[in-house]
Amino acid sequence: MKIDKKSIAQKESISVEFFYNNTKKLFNMKLLTPPEIGMTKQIREPNLHRPGLALAGFVDLFTYNRVQLIGNTENRYCNKLSEEKRFSTLQKLLTFDIPCFVITNGNQPCQELIDLAIERDIAVFQMSSNSTKSAYFISDFLEDQFSKRITIHGSFVDVYGVGILIVGKSGIGKSEVALDLVERGHRLVADDIVIFTKKGENILIGAGTDLIKHSMEIRGIGILDVERMFGVRSIRFQKRLEVVIELEVWDEKEVYTRTGLDKMEVIIDDVKILYVKLPIFPGKNITVIAETIAMNYLLKHYGFDAAEELQNRLHNKIRDKQQKGERIVNYFEHDFE
Amino acid sequence: MIEREVKILNNAGLHTRPAATLVKLASKYKCDFYMYTDGMKINGKSIIGVMTLAAEKGSTIILEFEGNDEKEAAEEIIGYFERGFDEL
Repeated sequence: MKIDKKSIAQKESISVEFFYNNTKKLFNMKLLTPPEIGMTKQIREPNLHRPGLALAGFVDLFTYNRVQLIGNTENRYCNKLSEEKRFSTLQKLLTFDIPCFVITNGNQPCQELIDLAIERDIAVFQMSSNSTKSAYFISDFLEDQFSKRITIHGSFVDVYGVGILIVGKSGIGKSEVALDLVERGHRLVADDIVIFTKKGENILIGAGTDLIKHSMEIRGIGILDVERMFGVRSIRFQKRLEVVIELEVWDEKEVYTRTGLDKMEVIIDDVKILYVKLPIFPGKNITVIAETIAMNYLLKHYGFDAAEELQNRLHNKIRDKQQKGERIVNYFEHDFE
Repeated sequence: MIEREVKILNNAGLHTRPAATLVKLASKYKCDFYMYTDGMKINGKSIIGVMTLAAEKGSTIILEFEGNDEKEAAEEIIGYFERGFDEL
């Protein structure tokens, strides 16, 4: 499986309007300036800044192009200044091209800030949560907006809670396997086009697109809507990626794992994901194998590895020179069944 | 590998009918066929994928063909784009 640069998109900026529309309900964000003020300004960085030192006059290293968070400290500092000093301090601060201000703790900022912000076309928001929480909420939202989005051609299904992405050449039967899994009670995240976004350091979250939603195409039938057909239990909107299964036509020359001790990985956006290459041939039930892969993944997650376990027994047997080929039951007393 | 940038010429854009035709044309050939736009990479042999592009008139898409019969595939598919999906 290869991922080239062309399948990676990354936003360079988001407008303050987009920021406000998406966060007002989520974070209970209130707009303190008139609705037409500062909405076209662009946020270009996921980081935040608390302009404490800038307010105190030190602007040599003022990261003005970030969202400016005004906490209790900044607010109280402003209020403590004389009217004259307050005006000149804020005037100096607002000469910079700031994308927007967020006042935390539900504080009411001084009127000078609002007036100057309106004059300079900068929106001022108010959040009721404290500065640490506000900073966490906003930077998590911005981080998500500015992270890379990788589109991958495949079917993404939640199998027993394990996010399995099925990839392979066009027409090999990815959608059919996904449909089969859905029929068996698993949940479809997206078919055909899956967009992955990195969350934190080593988590990739996948989702479908707003146009396609949970539609899928089955050759010979056409387009189906999985949610309508199988109900709400058959879908989900997002899922962490945990296993990639690549389907391919059985190739005699290719070497497939036999023990499962040699684990293969695929690296997507610096995140290592378990990778299974699965040859397909008539009579092979990929759906059941996908379920098995999921269960095996869960067992390993909870500390049991069948291949390692057998390997250990074998080692012990060799080391202790135990009798070979012994039955699992030493003595069959009687069969009463 | 053949790479070409094409423009959507017809008024209705890359809607369902041309998307279906495009997929049918591409599926005749063995070579891989990808379409790129706005950081999205789409398999040109999948109808859902092609529809996801939702490409409107005037937008540009990069086509990529790779495989033994890439020349023939590129010729036919680029021709279909240049004819504005026979809707001009």
